[in-house]
Amino acid sequence: MGLLPDFVLDYVDVGTFWTILMIVHGLLAVALLGALTHQAMSVLMPVRQVAGAGAPGFVTRFRAVQGAGYAAAVCVLWIVTFIFGAWIYTKYRMYVRIPIEQQGFWKTQGVFELKEHLATIGLGLLPIYWLFWKDAKNPDYESARKWLTVTLAAMVWFMFLVGHIVNNVRGFGS
Amino acid sequence: MSTTTTTGTPVARATSLVSSAAFRTFAVVCAITTPIIYVACEMQNWPLFTYHPGTNRVDLFYAPAVRNEGPAMHWYGWTATTLLVSGVLGVLATFLPENATRKIPLSLVWIVPLASIPVLIYALRFFWRW
Repeated sequence: MGLLPDFVLDYVDVGTFWTILMIVHGLLAVALLGALTHQAMSVLMPVRQVAGAGAPGFVTRFRAVQGAGYAAAVCVLWIVTFIFGAWIYTKYRMYVRIPIEQQGFWKTQGVFELKEHLATIGLGLLPIYWLFWKDAKNPDYESARKWLTVTLAAMVWFMFLVGHIVNNVRGFGS
Repeated sequence: MSTTTTTGTPVARATSLVSSAAFRTFAVVCAITTPIIYVACEMQNWPLFTYHPGTNRVDLFYAPAVRNEGPAMHWYGWTATTLLVSGVLGVLATFLPENATRKIPLSLVWIVPLASIPVLIYALRFFWRW
């Protein structure tokens, strides 16, 4: 039934436990997605102050964040989201993947496999990502920081959307 | 009055890490080698261990699924192999002279992960069928 400590079943039933885990994983993913999207926008379209300009609009405020302040949170969120995802994966492999294959949703399963690959690769990028942002004033890092952040943001967007697709195919209530 | 400085605070540790050439080398090498090692693990099937979710059993290295005991999961093992090997390579790289490690192009930290994606898509060709 997946990796589930027995004592948990004294408090909640099996379905509730995995549902809670899935919701926490999803909420963590939303936070990670938001943080990385803000950061990616701030490096792709940095805001330059213009004297006499009027009040900034929504998009300007969205990309006007101090990206360095997100770095540690992104690293922690990636790792914690990864751990929750890896935990849910034990259940997924038994009760989601097998029916998906039986129903012939091969491409759905394929993009999920790619999602898990990207999640692991992202782990290895976190130390340099953290360093680039913690030394944000170093001009040597500027280009690499920008494109690494955009790469990580694109990876998280892909993983987030695939998670939704798989949940739609066979997630809550199935 | 004592003027002893403490170096144990999280902020001080982070500052020293940021200015550390060894950590920079470790992080750059980890970022470049992780996608390469992961692709190799996935394509060659080199898990550090295999997890059997049906029985909660763990086997060292690769193990096939056991009949009537459910599937075998290798992704955890690929992840472990990748993080272990890239971490070791990162540490070994810190022993190289700094003038050598400074020559590693920083752009590789995002180009190599991006380049690994088409290879992984190809490795998953079993799933791209109609």
